[in-house]
Amino acid sequence: MKNKKPFDFLLFITVLILLSLGLIMVFSASAPTAEKYYGNIYHYINRQLVFAGLGMAAMLLAANYDYHKIGKKTVWILLLVSIVLLILVLIPGIGSESKGSWRWIIIAGFRFQPSELAKMALILFYSYSLSKRKKPLDSFFGDLLPYLFVLGIIVALLLLETHLSATIIMISIAMIILFAAGAKIRHFAALVLPVTALVIAVITFTDYMTPRLRSWIDPWSDPRGDGYQTIQSLYAIGSGGLFGRGLGQSMQKFLYVPEPQNDYIFPILAEELGFVGVVAVLLLFMIFIWRGIKIAVHAPDTYGCLIASGVTALIAVQSLFNVAVVTNSVPPTGVSLPFFSAGGTALILFMAEAGILLNVSRYSRYERI
Amino acid sequence: MAAPGLAQKRRLMIMLCTFALIVAALIARLAYIQFVQGSELQKKAFVQQNSGRIISPIRGTIYDRNGKKLAISVQAGTISCNPNEVANNKKLTVDEVADALADMLSLERDDVYRLITKKANSAIIKRKIDKETETRIRTWMSENSVKGINIDEDAKRYYPNGNLMSHLLGFTGDDNQGLMGGVEEVMDKYLKGTPGKILSEVDARGGAVPSDSEKRIDAQDGLNVVLTIDETIQYLVSKSLDKAVEDNKVKGGAIGIVMDPNTGDILSMVSKPDYDLNTPFAFPANIQVEGLDPSEWVERSNESVNILSRTVWRNRAITDTYEPGSTFKSITTAAGIEEGVVTPDTITDDLPIKVTGWPKPINCWRVGRPHGTETFREAVYNSCNPAFVKVAQSLGIERFYSYVKAFGFMERTGIELKGEAKPQFQPKLKEIDMAVASFGQRFTITPLQLATAYTALVNGGRLMKPRLIKELTDSEGNVVEKFEPQVVRTVISEQTSKTVRDILEGVVGDSKGTGNNAFVRGYRVGGKTGTSETTKEDVYIASFCGFAPANDPQIVVLIVLMDPRGDSHMGGVIAAPIVGKIAEDVLSYMQVERQYTQEDLKAMTEEVYVPDVRKKTVAEAVKALKAAGLKYSIEGEGNNESTVVEQTPKPDSIVPEDSVVLLYTYKPESEQTVEMPDLSGKTLSEAINTLNRAGLNIKISGHGVVYKQQYVAGQDVRKGSVVLVEFRNLDNVE
Ligand SMILES: [Zn+2]
Repeated sequence: MKNKKPFDFLLFITVLILLSLGLIMVFSASAPTAEKYYGNIYHYINRQLVFAGLGMAAMLLAANYDYHKIGKKTVWILLLVSIVLLILVLIPGIGSESKGSWRWIIIAGFRFQPSELAKMALILFYSYSLSKRKKPLDSFFGDLLPYLFVLGIIVALLLLETHLSATIIMISIAMIILFAAGAKIRHFAALVLPVTALVIAVITFTDYMTPRLRSWIDPWSDPRGDGYQTIQSLYAIGSGGLFGRGLGQSMQKFLYVPEPQNDYIFPILAEELGFVGVVAVLLLFMIFIWRGIKIAVHAPDTYGCLIASGVTALIAVQSLFNVAVVTNSVPPTGVSLPFFSAGGTALILFMAEAGILLNVSRYSRYERI
Repeated sequence: MAAPGLAQKRRLMIMLCTFALIVAALIARLAYIQFVQGSELQKKAFVQQNSGRIISPIRGTIYDRNGKKLAISVQAGTISCNPNEVANNKKLTVDEVADALADMLSLERDDVYRLITKKANSAIIKRKIDKETETRIRTWMSENSVKGINIDEDAKRYYPNGNLMSHLLGFTGDDNQGLMGGVEEVMDKYLKGTPGKILSEVDARGGAVPSDSEKRIDAQDGLNVVLTIDETIQYLVSKSLDKAVEDNKVKGGAIGIVMDPNTGDILSMVSKPDYDLNTPFAFPANIQVEGLDPSEWVERSNESVNILSRTVWRNRAITDTYEPGSTFKSITTAAGIEEGVVTPDTITDDLPIKVTGWPKPINCWRVGRPHGTETFREAVYNSCNPAFVKVAQSLGIERFYSYVKAFGFMERTGIELKGEAKPQFQPKLKEIDMAVASFGQRFTITPLQLATAYTALVNGGRLMKPRLIKELTDSEGNVVEKFEPQVVRTVISEQTSKTVRDILEGVVGDSKGTGNNAFVRGYRVGGKTGTSETTKEDVYIASFCGFAPANDPQIVVLIVLMDPRGDSHMGGVIAAPIVGKIAEDVLSYMQVERQYTQEDLKAMTEEVYVPDVRKKTVAEAVKALKAAGLKYSIEGEGNNESTVVEQTPKPDSIVPEDSVVLLYTYKPESEQTVEMPDLSGKTLSEAINTLNRAGLNIKISGHGVVYKQQYVAGQDVRKGSVVLVEFRNLDNVE
């Protein structure tokens, strides 16, 4: 436990490259929108640079803060604060509405997204709690259910926000951590059935998914409405070709792709940097995942292993989910791309989570590059 | 706290592999989008990105057959501002905006400043700015990212003749597309042109993207449409109809059609009441509708549009059907002669005739004192119904209706206008239907159908398709497409046509003919009167369908007056003279030579004294001149109440009968003179025509061809003067 090593350099470099690319893309993608609405092409990039700076600080801090010191008190406080914030965001006057969803709390002029904090809280809470267990997760009701209960509370609050993507990501990372922690396969199988039934019920009996499914299957059925974002995204990606139009040369960012610096930043990247660019970015994420899992595998203890698994799962699920959405591989839902999308809360927390991962790597036993 | 065990490590490796698989799948998906769907998506994206700035084309002009403009487009922009937005400009202050705009628009700077700072959402700065200024302002706006200044394209359609062509042209809607079934609508696809594009890459909100990739595809202006209509003839017909409507208190509308029987060209088509194409939604002051109050008129309201559609917007020449009445007897005549069941000299009578399926016998219109035994020619002159019933009966239902059909009465003419009504016949045609149809009753047709049938009647037997559109030209005037005259079918023989013309000329020319009021000396007008009953009691339709000159018809003229409430409702009394007047005006405009018969010439060489009509009103003067056997021509903008100030020839001059006296309603500052034409070698008839065209009168001596003329050719002669012309017989002299 005392044999501290340097952190995983490859992971560190990967994060830095992703962040730098992200900043370049935020600048390029946001310039027209920033010019149009703020009369200043630097509006978004200036803010993003501040967040990146704070994120770097958070990452370095986390990387040097022994994760073992994140104890019972910390994880419980984080969890409870997250839940309270998730409740507060639902209260008009505190939470702020955007396109029919309550996702933001404005603190000192900055928009804060409680769901991002909840993701981190869940990872740490699960990891801590699961690593402190004396016996394996043998019984569904006795062992697994309390975790599902905590997840259930968060998921219920996220659903009240109508924040579908956060819900999916939350469930995914929870499942992955439970899977890494040794939950029984048959218990997952037992969960699949009711979840599938629920999804089918939602699709069949409510209208919530109908337009999303329709625009997923055929975005051109409503090109000005539900299919609009998807079509604009595909136009951007399709215009990229092998090498892209060149950095800064996207046409689709000129207010066609809505908020091109946020959820749809990847299509702009695809348009400007082409297939080469998107493969590079996906490979960078793959390196991140590979290093993350390597850190988990070689972690000195279950706590480190689960934290590493959780953080890796979060970055992996969210980034791949984002790419799947913008390529219309899955029904559309708003999900941001880690390290790329403009937005303070998410970037700082992702950086901090990467920092924790780096910290775990300092105690992992494997050959460094 | 233990390090991960083997099972746990295996699970982590499964995770890694799963994520790797997903990454691989996403890369494949991206490759598919970028390489397989790429070109198509790129194309669509390009179209979207370049659809922002459209250059609107200029709508084509509509011309009459002589190139006079009937409908033109005035392209102009209107520049307006949104004062709130102007104040929010980042690069320029409000003062700078005012300076720049005042400079570019040549306006007072303070006026502009006042407008762009006005407390309002919008203010118009200047209307009808030219293209060049507009381009300058647009450039200035994009260079300085000026907000709050808007330029709206305003392609206004303008109709120089106002009411004259209302039903033929129709008007255009707000988005400039043609309406009302007129030429504007029917030819819309040619007139409208193709919009051009500025291929700069633009954003979703239409602002220009800083880029040098600007390419321009010019708009293709609409094609011009050339009509067969002659504006002058249209004007002559319109004027005559206005007068007829007023004189005869016509309540139900009036129609005038002039066609060229040889080509089917519509030279004029007028329906009354009409409306001004430049203000189609305005209160129709020219009609009387009960309970219609100008102060309660709301333009474009459902109610007002309803009233307009029912009245002034109606192109009655093609939308109204009516019983043609006696004008149809010409058709029965033609069928009978073509089939040989009757000749002009066949002896017939107009004694009451019984028809199967009808209780009462059919009488002549002059039921009290029938014409009795007469030739068929006389029966046509007298318009005796029983004589036509006999002809129809000799033909039989099948043959009779085969002619009705062949003359085009049972189908629409297919003119290039929308809204043509369908003719109405009894569903099952019986003996009685045929009997009354022989004199034009119990079926309804449109006025255009009758005029069209008359083309076949008089042109040698070929039914022409009415032609309204002559050709399409481009902006340089090159003919792009020509629409040739179309013969629908040959209905009767050349010989029958000639015989019918001869008979119908008699209807007008014979002093006892029912159409005598259409007589014009020298122009050989033929035709047939018609007085039709309608389904409403005491509502008649007076009509006359004529043609001239009878030996070589150049025009067919149909006049229909619906519900005349004046002294008479008889076609021969009120419609025939209008046709005569129109025929005379149109043929003299078309420079068709008059052909004087010996009788005409004899009448014309009788000399008369010119009465003194000075200080009389025009109406009194005209009456006095007519009584003296003279014609007149009014100089100046006079109406019937104006006073005649001067006249030429002077009072008490001795002139030949039918000479023209010029009546001046103003004091002529200098005497109007004309150039004396060269008459040498001309016949009497030619000499009269030549002098009349020049505005001179003739005094004849001798006979033969012109031997001497009073003034040498080329000399200036006072207009209206009497020129002494000596004739000698130069050949056949021993
Ligand atoms: Zn009679």
